[in-house]
Amino acid sequence: MRHKTTTAAAAALSGALLLAACGQAGPTAQTGEDELTDGKVVLGVLNDQSGVYKDLSGPNSVEAVKMAVEDYKAEYGDDAVATEIEVITADHQNKPEVANTKAQEMYDRNKADAIFDVPASSAALAVATQAKENKKLYFNIGAATTELTGAQCNKYTFHYAYDTYMLANGTGKTVTEQGGTNWSIIYPDYAFGQDMTKSFTTAIEGSGGAVVEAIPTPFPNDNFATFLTKAAASNPDVIGSMQAGGDLINFVKQYNEAGLRDQGIELAVGLMFITDINSLGVDQFAGTTFTEAWYWNYDDENREWADRFMEITGTRPSFAHAANYSAAKQYLDAVQRAGTDDADAIVSELQGYKVNDVFLRNGEFRAEDNRVVHDAYLAKVKDEASVSEDWDYEEILATIDASEAFRPVEDSIAAGCNLGS
Amino acid sequence: MTSAPTTITSVAAAANHLASRRSPLRWVLLAVGLLAALSLPWLVYPPLAMDIAAWALFAIALDLLLGFTGLLSFGHAAFWGGSAYVTGLVAINVGVPFPVAILVGALFAMLLAVPIGFLSVRSSGIYFAMVTLAFAQMLYFFANQWRDVTGGENGLQGIPRNFFGIELIETDPFYFYYAGLPIVLLGMWAAWRIIHSPFGKVLVAIRDNPARASALGYDVQRYKVMAFVMSAGLAGTAGGLFSISHGFASLQELNWTTSGKVVLITVLGGIGTLWGGTIGAALVVMLEDWLATSGFEGIGIITGTVFVIVVLAFRRGIWGTVRDLKARFRSRT
Repeated sequence: MRHKTTTAAAAALSGALLLAACGQAGPTAQTGEDELTDGKVVLGVLNDQSGVYKDLSGPNSVEAVKMAVEDYKAEYGDDAVATEIEVITADHQNKPEVANTKAQEMYDRNKADAIFDVPASSAALAVATQAKENKKLYFNIGAATTELTGAQCNKYTFHYAYDTYMLANGTGKTVTEQGGTNWSIIYPDYAFGQDMTKSFTTAIEGSGGAVVEAIPTPFPNDNFATFLTKAAASNPDVIGSMQAGGDLINFVKQYNEAGLRDQGIELAVGLMFITDINSLGVDQFAGTTFTEAWYWNYDDENREWADRFMEITGTRPSFAHAANYSAAKQYLDAVQRAGTDDADAIVSELQGYKVNDVFLRNGEFRAEDNRVVHDAYLAKVKDEASVSEDWDYEEILATIDASEAFRPVEDSIAAGCNLGS
Repeated sequence: MTSAPTTITSVAAAANHLASRRSPLRWVLLAVGLLAALSLPWLVYPPLAMDIAAWALFAIALDLLLGFTGLLSFGHAAFWGGSAYVTGLVAINVGVPFPVAILVGALFAMLLAVPIGFLSVRSSGIYFAMVTLAFAQMLYFFANQWRDVTGGENGLQGIPRNFFGIELIETDPFYFYYAGLPIVLLGMWAAWRIIHSPFGKVLVAIRDNPARASALGYDVQRYKVMAFVMSAGLAGTAGGLFSISHGFASLQELNWTTSGKVVLITVLGGIGTLWGGTIGAALVVMLEDWLATSGFEGIGIITGTVFVIVVLAFRRGIWGTVRDLKARFRSRT
């Protein structure tokens, strides 16, 4: 009798233990398998790897995303939800139709869970449509158009590093407040230039300055002499150049040759990457002010990351590289928190999330328009004499708080963004 | 008495022999071509298959001018891209099924081609190429400036693929291919019909000797304009389909590089072969796609090298070279 009870108790106990073990082991063992769509996390980097944006983002952004994967694995080790992570990449050659097809292929065939970067606004917007249709995540870093958080915004598209509003607002407002009240703006006559000019004008006039002249130029264009003469004739404090890439380099050369800096007319630039400064030489750009989304030598945290980046790529990172790293890391962290890579779960995990990392300072994934806001910086290009090492080109004049750096939510909604639909 | 029937039968036999020697091969080729077209989305990624089909029609449209009328247009992007935008605008604003939108786009391209053709056929050779390029560039800047309608450099985004509410075709590129393919085949058939019509023979006569064609009483300029407009219509059909397939129209479609790409495709396939364009399109689109993921940075170098090799080694293009080899083989046996 007694023997029987013991057996029964033992059986019950072992049964309970077994159940408990199952209950515990079951889900943990399965998170790695069942909670991931297709059993792995695939990150796609789609950008320009052979054309004009190659240096400022390009192949090194792929390296940056791989760094994020390494860091994720190192941080979570055996607890990692994403047990297998694959990074795939394609060169869209700045052709929107190539970007469109490749994005579709990445989501659909290669089972990419998120796509990163995508410079060139027409390509960026085409990929946003693919993200919406495929219901997969998309972090745009390379493109400047505010359409991504305006009329073309959607639930799955996050705009990460910068945009035309942020560039114009930072430089326009801060330079005006520091005494450069009269502006002449020279802009390339296409969507980017026009948007920038509009945003600059709003920012300058909002801070008590005035735009005395806005001069459109053809795009692309080599010879800016007549435009510079015309701009200088109205005797402004600042000339604002909205040129980008190769045009900007020509513009700055001619600004220097015309001796406008010696006449006390400062130069402010709408969009500039540290790679632009590097290719033309710091002396050509010396004294130019512009808005920077991130600078590698800003503090120890940035510098430490930049050192790692340099070990891998042999060059210092632009803000686009750091943003690609940050976006990939934030995505993987969200997968970890959500315990799954299901796109809808990740979106609700990210929306409204506040975070600090090497790129995002006071960062927030705004829930209303999927704009990722963070501190921005007003930078000035150093004189050649004060450059202490390679790539040490910038002096940070001011930090623009995340809450002020980007377009207010109301404006995004007024521009047609509706994430509900 | 006895000799006459023999002659007749022998002639008939010879004719029969001739027909049997030519026509089965032609049917076989047609069958192979159709089979290739139908199986394409199984072999390559479906959106790429649609690209190949659209570019093939575009190249055939250009060959109508280049190969059969002797006019090298370097501004055909105007018709491809112009139609891409109009098709997109119609699809967005009117919401008609996509073949109707493409028809409107193609008609727009033809309408556009009337003044452009009228003004440019007065010149020939390199001057003709430059004048057409100039018109295409005008259209490019027009589209770039007229932002409210075209979206400027952002492109015209969000073009729907309306097709009588059939969801599979509207959302899945694989099924969409089969909805779009008939349009391409219809365009190809039209091109084939044009060059095999008396009108087409006149075009070839003009190409080979405009002075003689004129002496025979043909209004050379008018024929050229008509060929130009027909070519533009087919190019517009292809461009419209391309924008529906991708769901947007961008400035890239109007860029001079698009005009260059279609010339490249036609030359690769073989000028004056009509069907060569299909081979050229498949080659160039697949090469571009493959290079995009190859990790190789000098994409332009590769496509340029292929072009140079083809021009140097296969002067008649791929299709033309194969046809010549076949003819030589046959004359030997």
